[in-house]
Amino acid sequence: MSQIKKTTASDLIMGVLLLAFGIYLIVESLGMKVFNSFLDAPGFFPFILGIIFCLFGIVMLIGSIRGGSVAATKATFRKDSLIALFLSPESKRVVILSFFMVVYIYGLIGRIHFAIATFIYLVVTFWYLKSTTWLKNIIISVLSAVLISAIFQYVFKIPLP
Amino acid sequence: MFEAFAQQFALFGSAAAQAFGYPQVFVTMIATVAGIVVGAIPGLTATMALALLINLTYSMQLATAVAFLLGVYVGAVMGGCYSAIMINIPGTPSAAATALDGFVLAKQGHGGQAIGVGIVASFVGTLISILLLIFLTPFLYKIALKFGQWEYFLISVFGIMICGNLSTQSTPLKGWIVGFLGFFTAMIGLDAVYAFPRFTYGSYDLMGGISLIPALIGVFGISEILSVLQEDVPYSIENQLGKVLPDRSMVKQVLSTAVRSGLIGSGIGAVPGAGEDIAAWVSYDVGKRRSKHGHLFGKGSYEGLASAETANNACIGGAMIPLLTLAVPGSPPAAMFLAAIWLHGIKPGPMLALESPDFLYLTAVTLLIATASMLVFGLLLTKPMVKVLKINRKILMPIIVPLTVIGAYAGNVNIFDIHVMFIFGILGYILRKLNYPMAPLVLGIILGPTADISFRQALMQGQGSIIPLLGRPVGIVLMVAIIWIFISGVKNSRLQKNTSNNQPI
Repeated sequence: MSQIKKTTASDLIMGVLLLAFGIYLIVESLGMKVFNSFLDAPGFFPFILGIIFCLFGIVMLIGSIRGGSVAATKATFRKDSLIALFLSPESKRVVILSFFMVVYIYGLIGRIHFAIATFIYLVVTFWYLKSTTWLKNIIISVLSAVLISAIFQYVFKIPLP
Repeated sequence: MFEAFAQQFALFGSAAAQAFGYPQVFVTMIATVAGIVVGAIPGLTATMALALLINLTYSMQLATAVAFLLGVYVGAVMGGCYSAIMINIPGTPSAAATALDGFVLAKQGHGGQAIGVGIVASFVGTLISILLLIFLTPFLYKIALKFGQWEYFLISVFGIMICGNLSTQSTPLKGWIVGFLGFFTAMIGLDAVYAFPRFTYGSYDLMGGISLIPALIGVFGISEILSVLQEDVPYSIENQLGKVLPDRSMVKQVLSTAVRSGLIGSGIGAVPGAGEDIAAWVSYDVGKRRSKHGHLFGKGSYEGLASAETANNACIGGAMIPLLTLAVPGSPPAAMFLAAIWLHGIKPGPMLALESPDFLYLTAVTLLIATASMLVFGLLLTKPMVKVLKINRKILMPIIVPLTVIGAYAGNVNIFDIHVMFIFGILGYILRKLNYPMAPLVLGIILGPTADISFRQALMQGQGSIIPLLGRPVGIVLMVAIIWIFISGVKNSRLQKNTSNNQPI
């Protein structure tokens, strides 16, 4: 039941998003410069895509509304449903793992040496996932960071970020 | 006639000399073993492996790069059968159908024999697809040479429509949406005709467009890592392997099934973006309906196992046919291969027969070596592979993250590409959770520029009219096919909705 609710609610939201995105594409593409004729203008193909996305959005909206998505969306956005969704172990794990990746990619890479950044990322991720014991965690993280950096830089001659 | 045959034979000989030369032959063997290991580990797919490895081929000669990538591809598709059979978790999505009968056989203590049959079936499947690749591609080159702007535009749309239709278990609409999102992604950056910036918002990084490889690594790497790590499900391994080498009577028993499945797999492989998993399921379904022992499918049938396992490997050669003739990949891993050979200056399409006439044979012979390696090493490594399945995924998957970072960065040596990779990873993860398939997105990104330019030029040539299309037979066939896919997709969507509405909740 909850899976179907989630699907129809997501279909409704996706329908709205597609419609909005399609309209945005149409407006944006009509604002692009026309050199000879609109048929070969840079905005022509995005304009067609905008129309297609609008049609997809409408089809999704109609289908999801007929499938009872309004009630399902209301139910999905109820406080208890949202708490259950965001506090489920899977959601929490994905959010935290993504956060570690954000820190690694946007915060560490390019600021400190790649091997050190990788070591920090791996130690923290292994610790969070309870992958292994602390000692093994540090050994595996050091070895992985050093080996990956050395192999790519010196064997495959690929520059590191 | 004789002259043409002699010319093709000479090209074949030159390609074979390259493929069997040093170090290519060793690279193919090592890459196949590496592919088998990668494919066996649940969560590591052939697509992901190829996406990560593309950048390693920068410094390689073309023949070596082809050997490396095709070895991994062939090995990884087959490798999925180890985990499907021994732990009921397909190492790659293409081995999902294999698990139905394979795991039952493993529980009965015939895991080794099941793996043996799976490997032999994979061998037969790939072999059939290589033969089709060699003999069908030259004919398709001739047809593709007649393609004009309309045909290129329509084949691009046909590609994402059929891929969207086949690659989703939900409604085809979701596949089409993702395919057109791929088209949109390809629009970002400078317009190829007037160099006008589209959707760049003043960013110099975006003016270069969204690079294909970082996007692919994100969609198939980061999103896969998150999908695997979000669940904390331990799995148990059937330790009783039993005999591995299948006896002659068993091979005879599954041979006709394997030949039929090889043809089905090759055919589905040739459909743009369809991929190995669809080939396996379709072949399994056909096998079940055609077999005298169809009622045993799913209860530990070697025939069922062979149906699925032959078809997913047969898809490899099939996927190369549209890739080489039209630059339209037949499966997601083939899309990675396409991206890699672009880097090496090979431009697939009808002109490939003139520009690099031996490339078809180089691909075919390399596939042949990889297939033979897969058979030999696959059977030899069965026992050690069961140990590989015990690798802790909570250690393995985080280690892949730095590899995705290097893979995304190495192409343009640009930090921006790492950001693109991550954003596509998160986008891919969300879309997967909502049952949107990823294959049409990749195909859309690849085919987007062709669709854009061809459509504009076709309309300009016809002064805005689509009437010139009516004089083009291939164009009309493609147009009719697109309309048919659309109508059947809409019908299927309705049918699916009605079925799900009638299901007890």
